[in-house]
Amino acid sequence: MSVINWIINNVLTQAGIIIGLIAMLGLILQKKGLGAVVIGTFKTILGFYVLSAGSAVLVTTLTYFGVMFQAAFHTTGIVPSIEAVNGYATNNLGLGGQIALAFLGIFIVNILLARFTPWKYIFLTGQALLWMSTMTVVFGHAAGLRGAWLILAASLVGGFFCVAMPALAQPIVRRITGNDAIALGHFCTIGYMVEAGVAWLVRKRNVDKQPSTEDLKLPRSLEFLQDTYMSLAVVMIPLFLVVAAVAGPEPVAEDVGTMNYMMYAFLQSIQFVVGVYVLMAGVRLLLGEIVPAFRGISMKLVPDSKPALDCPVLFPYAPNAVVIGFITTTIGTLIAMVALPAVGFAVIVPGMLTNFFAGGTAGIFGNTVGGRRGAIIGGVVHGLFITLLPALLVTTFMNLGFPNLSATDVDTITAGLLFAYIVRPIMNAL
Amino acid sequence: MTRPLDICFICGAGLGSSLACQMEAEEVLAAAGIRANLGHEAISGIPGVRADIIVSAENFKPTIEKYELDPDIAFVFLKNIVDKTEIAAKLLPVVQEKEAQA
Repeated sequence: MSVINWIINNVLTQAGIIIGLIAMLGLILQKKGLGAVVIGTFKTILGFYVLSAGSAVLVTTLTYFGVMFQAAFHTTGIVPSIEAVNGYATNNLGLGGQIALAFLGIFIVNILLARFTPWKYIFLTGQALLWMSTMTVVFGHAAGLRGAWLILAASLVGGFFCVAMPALAQPIVRRITGNDAIALGHFCTIGYMVEAGVAWLVRKRNVDKQPSTEDLKLPRSLEFLQDTYMSLAVVMIPLFLVVAAVAGPEPVAEDVGTMNYMMYAFLQSIQFVVGVYVLMAGVRLLLGEIVPAFRGISMKLVPDSKPALDCPVLFPYAPNAVVIGFITTTIGTLIAMVALPAVGFAVIVPGMLTNFFAGGTAGIFGNTVGGRRGAIIGGVVHGLFITLLPALLVTTFMNLGFPNLSATDVDTITAGLLFAYIVRPIMNAL
Repeated sequence: MTRPLDICFICGAGLGSSLACQMEAEEVLAAAGIRANLGHEAISGIPGVRADIIVSAENFKPTIEKYELDPDIAFVFLKNIVDKTEIAAKLLPVVQEKEAQA
């Protein structure tokens, strides 16, 4: 027994090690050589801890931002960031091991569903799987589930979303790409369908073809927005500076020391981008081995499956729609930031990463269904929608004692709310 | 035996679509019997990328061309970054040309 206890206490609580073991299993199943297995396993473990380091940086700067925002506007401003939620769940709640196991469980459930149902999608966007396992585990845990039951419930819910979401989006993805070869695997799909629905309502009637965003000439100066980190910086730096200017030097005087508080705010906003950059580098290392292994395994088990891939796969089909989608979604999230508190919600600061990726993809959906009008009006509504859901989450997170956190990707939020509103009452009743 | 080529796949954050493209290309190259080192990276990291060939989506073309990169690097831009036929049609000729130079 003591051996098993030692393993449970020292190995199964270490998320990085579990993720490493999952990668190792995948590499062995693919019959890679000993060298490749060792290197791949180590890279995956390294990636996990780089990700944690990035999360820590991100949480620090978000905490600073929270303090400043509170001082400036006397209300809580929350920057929704699933990465920070993951970091907090791993570092402060000790759920890292469960999240890693749910990650594997979701993949297994996904394969089973693809094998035995008509939804033949294999979800291959690794970071989205990680965020989904984070949300389902955190909320399953909050609902009172523990141990194997927690991992099972998280895997079932997450696995269901892995096939249901690509299936939901496929009719429109087919229109975008012109074939059925690939599917969209990105957990913001409900938001895309909201935008597509709005675009359908506002589309031009009595025309064969909607006027497309792709016939517009956008100024070349907007091209830098394609660079994720630059588009983050362009919004976050002014945001931090404005908040600091309103808050004044007092709130963080102790931390700042002799430095000018505006300079400090500028450096903190840079730190925010640093956090995201480091985190992404970690995710890249972490997934570089696991995703190809997942793909190899799933192709063997479900030969007629379609890969559900990350949203930028669609970007080359409508680059203008991506830029328009990003801008209109950001406008929508800014409107929601100001408007939601009026109806009693917390202030949700736009989550720029999601605005770019989800907004850009939603823009393609809007353009495909309702042309320029669909992309623009649908984009603003999409921005409102993806701010409303995190606002609903905040109260739940506050109850869990999460410091100023919320998440962004609407499908993962929906999964989390399922636990909060359906599983939790059942657990309480038992 | 010449050294294997280094091929780098680029997307906005260097996470999802570049990896998807890399996995497809890996199969295309394996089918053609070509050995190469593949990696993926975010577009911000491009100035530091040392590769023989950079593969990316067409929407990144203007941004990538702004950087003054090593003139020896060959570029391949794809419309559908996970379409094996397109990858084979655009990447293989460039790879063969590079291997002929080596």
